[in-house]
Amino acid sequence: MSTVSPAGDEAVRLERFTTRIASGDQIEAGEWMPEQYRFEALRLIQMHANSEIMGALPEREWIPRAPTLARKMALTAKVQDEVGHGMLLYRVAETIGRPREEMYAELVEGRARFHNVFHYPAETWADVAIIQVFVDGAAMQTQGALRSCSYAPYSRVLKRICYEEDFHIQLGLDVWRALAEGTPAQRAMLQDALNRWWTPIIHFFGMPDRVSPHTEAMLAWRLKVKSNEELRQQFLRRFVPVILEYGLVVPDPGLRWLETEQRYEYTEPDWDELKRVGRNGGPKSAERLALRQSFYRQHAWVREALSRWSQAAA
Amino acid sequence: MEPGGGVTPRGVEAARRTEAPWVRTLEAADGVWAVFLQARRRDAHVHVGDVHAPDAEMALVLAKENYARRDPCVSLWVVPARAIRGTASDAADMFEPATDKSYRFGGSYRQQQRVYRGGYSAGPTEDDR
Repeated sequence: MSTVSPAGDEAVRLERFTTRIASGDQIEAGEWMPEQYRFEALRLIQMHANSEIMGALPEREWIPRAPTLARKMALTAKVQDEVGHGMLLYRVAETIGRPREEMYAELVEGRARFHNVFHYPAETWADVAIIQVFVDGAAMQTQGALRSCSYAPYSRVLKRICYEEDFHIQLGLDVWRALAEGTPAQRAMLQDALNRWWTPIIHFFGMPDRVSPHTEAMLAWRLKVKSNEELRQQFLRRFVPVILEYGLVVPDPGLRWLETEQRYEYTEPDWDELKRVGRNGGPKSAERLALRQSFYRQHAWVREALSRWSQAAA
Repeated sequence: MEPGGGVTPRGVEAARRTEAPWVRTLEAADGVWAVFLQARRRDAHVHVGDVHAPDAEMALVLAKENYARRDPCVSLWVVPARAIRGTASDAADMFEPATDKSYRFGGSYRQQQRVYRGGYSAGPTEDDR
């Protein structure tokens, strides 16, 4: 008979777990973790996986309409990478305890969340440049920081993802440069796209952390490595110069660099819009989810054929 | 017990009881394959991730598409993830050397080389002055 009560045992495990993470150690798949950690890690990784899958859609719309064959091939490769990231991430989420089928069903039925930026339309070819540079650039700040997170399988996958995201940003900068150095109509198209995307991109990092209830627990467990505002500032420092370098206008008249504080001041966006969009209430949410659903149904025969093949071979 | 002789959860439990406490079986669903990639002939195969597939051939096809579409690869291995046995991560202590192992490293002997060579080339030391 053990002299340690189940509750006491749990407390010891929790303390050991917290100490390990505080010392910089990482948790492997299959190891004991507190339920709250499991919940938060799953929520984070599933949301990331969903966003990769849904994020492929706005750009996918431009594959048939890409202006040259080279751009079409590069864009196809990029979209393939994003779907591949989804596959890697669902697998990591599975190691924390949910089957992939279940998570995927939740996504296509509109019961799960994905990043706000993928609820908006990609109206012109310039939107593709904005998505590749600024949306992927924003995602790169978050994902780059999370490479040092406490869940080892997630951090390993993030290394591969960031490596591929770098290609996306470089590709985007090439599309961006071509348009920025192009005709007045092309420049106007680029500026218009930037204007429409600015607020969703500022929203991307989430509300400043004082309003976010999860932040402290997430930071302590290293499921979050930098605060929302730190990541937003990091993004602005890297990408505002890209806009100015090409003589385009930052769509926020309130944006200015505060030399003494070493940070950008910006106009507070409408956070209610972010909440609304996050609950699948964005301009393209319903349409993109419907597209996901219809493809999921259309491709059912592929999944069935795969399983029958193995049965036939057995 | 299930008919057909498949490994039931109970069977897995029984198998585990016979294993040492530091041996760990990867928890994975049926149809999960671990993928090992060899980038160049001179390199070892390294675990790069997993795929879901109904059999080994399809696992290799999916592994090629997911893990070998950009960077160099000369060979892929797929292994049912459940077949992998590893050391438990909380057993990492057993790799800690029980005694000083510095005698196994070349670096430990470099200081002696420096002293030896230094004796012939060095000028007067602080003590000589």
